Amino acid sequence: MFSAYLIHLLILICIYLILSLALQLAIGYTGLVNFGHIAFFGVGAYTSALLVLNGWPFWAGFLSAGILSALFGFLISWPTNKFKGDYLALATMGFSFVVYAVLLNWTDLTNGPLGIPGIPKPQILGFSFIDNSDFLVLAIGITIISYLIIKRITVSQFGKVLEAIRDDELAVKVLGKDTLKMKSYALAISAFFAGIAGSLYAHYLTYIDPSSFAIMELVPVLLIVIVGGLASLEGTILGTFLIILIPEALRFVGFSSSIVGPMRQILYALILLLILIYKPRGFYGKVDLE
Amino acid sequence: MFLQILINSLIAGAIYGLVASGFSLIYSTNKFVHFAHGATVAFSGYMLYFFFGMLGLNFGFSVILAILFAGALGILMNILVYKQLRSRRAGNAILLIASFGILILVESLILLFFGADVKTIDYIAVSRGLSFYSAIITPLQIVIIIVSVILFILLMLLMKKTRLGKAMRAVSDNKDVAEIVGISAESIYNWSFFVGSLIAGVAGVLIGLEQNLEPTMGTSLIIKGFIAAIIGGIGSAPGAILGAFLLGFAENFGIWYLPSGYKDAIAFVLLFIFLLFRPQGILGKKK
Amino acid sequence: MLKLKNLKKHFGGVKAVDNCSFEIGKGMITALIGPNGAGKSTVFNLVSGIINPDDGQIFLNGTDIANLPPETIARLGVSRLFQQSRLFKNLTVKENLLLAFDGEDTKFLKNFLGLNKVNKEKEEIIEHWLKKVELERFKNHIAGDLSYGQKRLIEIIRAIINPHSFLMLDEPVAGVNPKLRKEIAAMLLELKKSGETILLIEHDMDFTFGVADKIIVMAKGTVIAEGQPKQIRENKDVLEAYFGE
Repeated sequence: MFSAYLIHLLILICIYLILSLALQLAIGYTGLVNFGHIAFFGVGAYTSALLVLNGWPFWAGFLSAGILSALFGFLISWPTNKFKGDYLALATMGFSFVVYAVLLNWTDLTNGPLGIPGIPKPQILGFSFIDNSDFLVLAIGITIISYLIIKRITVSQFGKVLEAIRDDELAVKVLGKDTLKMKSYALAISAFFAGIAGSLYAHYLTYIDPSSFAIMELVPVLLIVIVGGLASLEGTILGTFLIILIPEALRFVGFSSSIVGPMRQILYALILLLILIYKPRGFYGKVDLE
Repeated sequence: MFLQILINSLIAGAIYGLVASGFSLIYSTNKFVHFAHGATVAFSGYMLYFFFGMLGLNFGFSVILAILFAGALGILMNILVYKQLRSRRAGNAILLIASFGILILVESLILLFFGADVKTIDYIAVSRGLSFYSAIITPLQIVIIIVSVILFILLMLLMKKTRLGKAMRAVSDNKDVAEIVGISAESIYNWSFFVGSLIAGVAGVLIGLEQNLEPTMGTSLIIKGFIAAIIGGIGSAPGAILGAFLLGFAENFGIWYLPSGYKDAIAFVLLFIFLLFRPQGILGKKK
Repeated sequence: MLKLKNLKKHFGGVKAVDNCSFEIGKGMITALIGPNGAGKSTVFNLVSGIINPDDGQIFLNGTDIANLPPETIARLGVSRLFQQSRLFKNLTVKENLLLAFDGEDTKFLKNFLGLNKVNKEKEEIIEHWLKKVELERFKNHIAGDLSYGQKRLIEIIRAIINPHSFLMLDEPVAGVNPKLRKEIAAMLLELKKSGETILLIEHDMDFTFGVADKIIVMAKGTVIAEGQPKQIRENKDVLEAYFGE
């Protein structure tokens, strides 16, 4: 019999895996250092929560979360088209902050810092996923489908063009390909999956507030992608398990709960710095971060 | 009303300028975004609290210690992290990500040792504002503006007139040529972190006195400082200061019309506009 | 085929290209030579659309392409080799070449539904070219791992596979060993025989005089001489440009 704690962890792993695979597509495969990724997560969570609370069926809220996030992803690729590396990171980080500010201040829509409580658990065709073990099955299903879709993209010729853009965008243009279009597709797809991860998150926790979507929440996701290795989906899976599970070990060392929070952050920061210095390709990375 | 906003803008500009100028110095010499600069500012404020508020040392002495410790932290960050990455030919994106790592590490350590609750430094006890025509300004705020102006002048003198300043500009222009004429780039990097972080130390002390201390203050400050540096012209100390005052004005006049919660969003919209249309900033040169 | 008219491009105070005009005939190999800083690479960048001219026109088969983006110009038939290596270093040699064939790989739905599989024809063309340059055993190697000369060959092949009516090669043999140089020269002559139009920039004079039908000499941003290799060799202005007064 699985303990409730283990089920909770596995659900978190599913959500973060989808979120990280999405970021991997943007950074590892297309070379887009998108620090605005958490904004897509937040847009997805709030969209799904608000729609379902307004009577929409779960699957509609779920898909809308993905689609609306994808639209944002598509739109943001245009003004940031000429930005590279750190400039792109900082511009997209700015986008993250604007979204955060909107979530915090547009109280009529989002209820501001008070957040949105009472988000219903998913209900599909009359079946309610109220038990966490049922939710886990749903989450695993969605995660597997997401993985298969993203894998499919990376293996196809379309995925190879994305990788070529990462390696040398100008050379891709000179081969007659519209790189702006390709990058906007990449960001849109990446945002789509971040959005549906957000939907799962909202309907699992049943309560969301802007603090879950602040810029610092990007750190574990970025860490997963880097630790697992750029341009490796298998690495992302491994990275997710490691990054979600390792801090949980802290609970068993006997730290009080007020210390677990900062200890977790310290652990993440140390792992990040050590990996960047000593093993920048992570476990299965095939590519260097520029 | 207008005068109050003007004064608030000046104070905000002075504070952002203190953060932005040190950051800009480090950026222009090292050529990457040292986001962890905000952590140095926070660290300095907490050090003042530690020496003065917790250990009860003399105030002036505590201030000096806090500023020196900040300078030392800057050098430590460079030696322990950035130097290692540079020797492995890390690109700017990696250095930026690493700087986030350092920022989180320092902030979390502060959180661990000092707790999440807001701390105050009780030196200049709740200052009664002085009336200046129809506006109110406190003595501390006047001090902030004066100190920042003095510091800016000192910084400009350093960069233009001293050997160190010239060496930093040489490394900033062309590191390889600078090394050929005998300047050790490594040592200049350390110096830039030291001086930049000292300025951050001053910022931390003043901000710690003016606003209260909380562990994530560094993040918000460096974001504003960074945006100010971009607007004014990153890589140029006068640019950073100009950008800081512009940002201060834009924010304070902006929230005259918008709900105050959107203050931070104003900064980001400005960032976006500049990155799109004039990425080199107002005073910057096109790369 | 290609006609430049009064082309001008200044970078601040530097007159990289200034009142530059010349014509490239079809089915010929034309070489663009000149001392460093003459503006040759700038002309290449202007023609392939990587930068836009301040003034002047660039006609490709009658159409003015002066301000079009690089991907559009590429689709109008211009294929380009860069001076510095621009291979996709994390992809295999085969993957590098597959990207050159057509634009089908940019269609998301088609690729996702599995309707753009790598077909036999493309594989055969790749085999053919790799065999020609004796690199077939590197087909599945990561491109970044190849030696400089090998990379150069792959990039030339990539430019050739890319559908084109006009081939621009910027220093195809720079830094390449003499044996390979001869092979590349032979390849270019073969391409010309099959009707290709080639414009190249080169500093290796033996190589250039060995393949070019016509030579255009640039200095200080403009054309100072053009003609057949024999004429150019004896041209006073050209010698002056290279060796000074």
